[in-house]
Amino acid sequence: MVIEIADVIISGLINGSVYALMAVGLTLIYGVSKAFNFAYGSFYSLGGYIAFLLFGLSFINNYFLVFLLAAPILLVFGFFVEKVLVAPLRKRDDWEIKVMMITLGLALFLDNSFQVIFGSRMKSLPPFLEGGFEGGNFYLSHQDVGIFFLSIGGILLFRWFLNNTRTGMSVRAVAQNPAGAQIVGIPKEFVFAATFAISTVMVGMGGILLAQKYFITPMGGWDILVKAWVITAFGGMGSIRGGLYAAFIVGMLEAFVGWYFGMTWTLIVLFAVLLTTLAVRPQGLLGKWG
Amino acid sequence: MDHRRISFLLAVIWTIVAVLPLFFGGTNFIMHILIMCLIWSVVASCWDLIMGFAGIFSFGQVAFFVMGSYASAIISAQFGIPPIFAVFIAGGITAGIGILVGLPCLKLKGAYIALVTFAVHMILEPVLKGEIGRAIGTGGTRGLLTIEPMTIFGYTFSTASPVPYFYLMLLVAVICSVIILVVIKSHWGTAFLALKDSQEFAACLGVSAFKYKLMVFALTSFLTGMMGGFYAHYVGMLSTRMLGIDLFVTLMVILVIGGVGKFPGAIIGAFITIAINELLSPLGPYRPITMGAMVVILVLVLPDGIVGLFERLFSKKPHDITH
Amino acid sequence: MKKALGIFLILALALMPATALWAKDTIKVGVPLAMTGPYTDTGDNYWKGIKMAIDEINTAGGLLGKQLEPIRFDTQEFAPERVMQGADYLCGQIKVDSVHAGWAGWGQDVRAYGKYTAPFFADDGSQSAVDVFKQNKEEYKNIFQLTDTGINQAQSMFNVLMALPYEYPNKKAVIITADDAWGTEVGDTLEKNFKEKGWEVAMHELVPYGTNQWGPLLTQIRRIKPAIIHVEIVSAQEVITFFRQFMKRPTDSILSYGYSLVPREVVETMGKEADGLLGEVPTAMPTPEAPTPEAQAWLDKFETIWGHLPQAGSWAAYSGVKAWAAAVEAVGDEKNHDAVSDYIATNGYKGETGWWKWDEDHVMRAGGDVPIAHYQVQNGEMVAIFTDPPTKPYKNYQFQVPRWIKQ
Repeated sequence: MVIEIADVIISGLINGSVYALMAVGLTLIYGVSKAFNFAYGSFYSLGGYIAFLLFGLSFINNYFLVFLLAAPILLVFGFFVEKVLVAPLRKRDDWEIKVMMITLGLALFLDNSFQVIFGSRMKSLPPFLEGGFEGGNFYLSHQDVGIFFLSIGGILLFRWFLNNTRTGMSVRAVAQNPAGAQIVGIPKEFVFAATFAISTVMVGMGGILLAQKYFITPMGGWDILVKAWVITAFGGMGSIRGGLYAAFIVGMLEAFVGWYFGMTWTLIVLFAVLLTTLAVRPQGLLGKWG
Repeated sequence: MDHRRISFLLAVIWTIVAVLPLFFGGTNFIMHILIMCLIWSVVASCWDLIMGFAGIFSFGQVAFFVMGSYASAIISAQFGIPPIFAVFIAGGITAGIGILVGLPCLKLKGAYIALVTFAVHMILEPVLKGEIGRAIGTGGTRGLLTIEPMTIFGYTFSTASPVPYFYLMLLVAVICSVIILVVIKSHWGTAFLALKDSQEFAACLGVSAFKYKLMVFALTSFLTGMMGGFYAHYVGMLSTRMLGIDLFVTLMVILVIGGVGKFPGAIIGAFITIAINELLSPLGPYRPITMGAMVVILVLVLPDGIVGLFERLFSKKPHDITH
Repeated sequence: MKKALGIFLILALALMPATALWAKDTIKVGVPLAMTGPYTDTGDNYWKGIKMAIDEINTAGGLLGKQLEPIRFDTQEFAPERVMQGADYLCGQIKVDSVHAGWAGWGQDVRAYGKYTAPFFADDGSQSAVDVFKQNKEEYKNIFQLTDTGINQAQSMFNVLMALPYEYPNKKAVIITADDAWGTEVGDTLEKNFKEKGWEVAMHELVPYGTNQWGPLLTQIRRIKPAIIHVEIVSAQEVITFFRQFMKRPTDSILSYGYSLVPREVVETMGKEADGLLGEVPTAMPTPEAPTPEAQAWLDKFETIWGHLPQAGSWAAYSGVKAWAAAVEAVGDEKNHDAVSDYIATNGYKGETGWWKWDEDHVMRAGGDVPIAHYQVQNGEMVAIFTDPPTKPYKNYQFQVPRWIKQ
């Protein structure tokens, strides 16, 4: 029984760390620019497919190189998408809905392009760590541990970036007070695009990290979008710390509900908890920039 | 646009649609698509009323449609209620659920409403397929394969000769569009305009955002659920496969093409979108790619859709500007 | 306003599909399959078989001297109105003389295509489709199912599990299926059978598609230590992640994947790692060695054309086209749909492995010359070890005790 519960907790922790990485990028865009990115899930798949292509090149044989090469590609892609598709809409009164629509169109375009280019069959990446810790009835794979620490590491790195770099501070300034930030000379337009680009890198990296465990499929991003969305709202849109807590709560909740009641109940329980939380606290757990 | 222009545009649209069977009446396939166009045009108009006019980011439209369709099918099968009454009861049930969802949700902010309503969409599938669904008679994973056809005054509409059902749907669509027009141009519509411009100021003037939002939510849920019922009794079978991403995206594209908040854009959008979808169908996997690209380009180039384009064409003449 | 009206009229006219003028001397064949969305890959497998059959007939001079012309229709995600539109388009509008589908709507298709007369071949493998058929056998007489129902397939899986040359350490079973019609049909049948044989079904879980974290379920499985685990989720991602997470601390259980062994990625992604898994394919061409020389020739030809072994459904769909063509030859008129359907129903069709016979419900029941093949992954490839019914070992291929079972 003890081992069983330990198993469930570990499964919840690992899921939680992955969800955290997914949710932080989404909460960031929302927190800074109030834009909702429907193509977020497609960027996740994009990361996976870029890694798949990179592994096809003869000189690439490890994940370090893949991350190193994929990051700038994703960064440029995200920046470009914001500048070309999202930025022109900001002038309008109803830009929020227009952004949702254009990113939904982009998601449709990307997902189906993946399907045509790579085929509908799933693609896999080589595992980045083999083996695991063993002890009696207990087993913990190195891969899972790696995913956990890389996710947490990614989020910490990102927090450091926000708190200690000039760009990071401008991002926070714009999030807290866009007009004020502009008055003191922070280039708002650039910050919006930069945020979008950074969140693209984060979710794309998540895609690479998870593809070796969960594979890459053309439509695989939708689940990620929905999960990230739930967690973001649960934790409070725009709150990174809230997102972190929410991610682990959701991870644990899923693991325990799945173990105790059955897998079909996880979604229902998840939304029940979310609705209750929002009914009590409409802004989510920590609905403020923090 | 002022209400006279909208009414005129509506009259033109419905007249054109009404004569379409003269050309396509013999082709069941096209009549069938036209019936679906009519159904989607109402569903999309309702969505437009919520999103475009009331400014509520509700993503539960497909869910309400599916709820209505299941409710109507189950009511008519289990209680022997004739379909023509069942669709209205189904609308009532859907409106009830709409209010239940709206009560906690309409106090939330934009993206949160989107999430909660989309959550309703997401959980609907496991609920309909699971134990709860089987208990109320959804047929579980199999779906409902036998649904009583629509009967009015002893006349049974059948899919084999779709023209009568087309006119029934046209009548329903006309009535729904008039209701929506009345709402937009009534006190409600003005209240929403005020709320959209400045919620705080409107509230100071005594416009209760919550009350109006809940009312519009209930009304659109009712109409959407009712259309779901008409769909169920027409197609004669139901499955949870409607809850896939396809229908959701199609409705969104309808709004993009028609123009958000540009009633009756959604109606025009429905006919154009479904037509394009069918014309692109031979392209296989390139169809959704083209649709996606089209949405992206249209939002940038034609942000107010077809109706926005009309307005731009007219406003060249200065005296025509109506605001 | 005139300008606007003009634009609107043009747009309204765009609604008219460009009904091109078809050449007069072809026979049109409808092919409604998923070309977009989550079922694309399955649709592709059927298409490969259908295309091969049509090309074969056309190269040999056509059917009754006329070339076959496939008309494709994208069934997307099988929403009810989409299934109906397909029927109205292919049978009502284009007026095809036969329809060859694969997964086609699990009962919805029977209703939609039953309204028309053109012979319709589907691979639903579902009892609900048969139930609809039984409601009006006369009206639906043009409907033919290429595979047996999930219930009978599950029965067959059970028979083979019991016939394995292997002694189970206990009588506990775990069943995990997808929460769709196919999964529940198989799961319920297996549970019933296990209980009748005095087994304990210690866990019977329904899971949604997209599940890839199996920790909570595996935790329970490791406590139960079942002798058999049956997983029925026809999607590679789910079954591979299950297997890999199971293998981290395996129990002494036979892993039976049923029809979920079919997605080609399972074997392609895992290779020898998948060794030991069991699965089945109905209406199957057993591999790697076909039962007859004709069948072997077909296998070789398929591999030459498409560059890989056929996946479930390819051969069934191929045979559907050939069965219809044979009936048309015999009747002598492709337009006489009723006669063609009657011919198929009464005479069946002689294929590469022998006779295909449809029963009174127009279901191609497993058995005889076209049994269900049961496979085990050995050396990274699917190897037929049993056929059923009747349950008997296939050629000289042997069941191997999976490497994770310590005895």
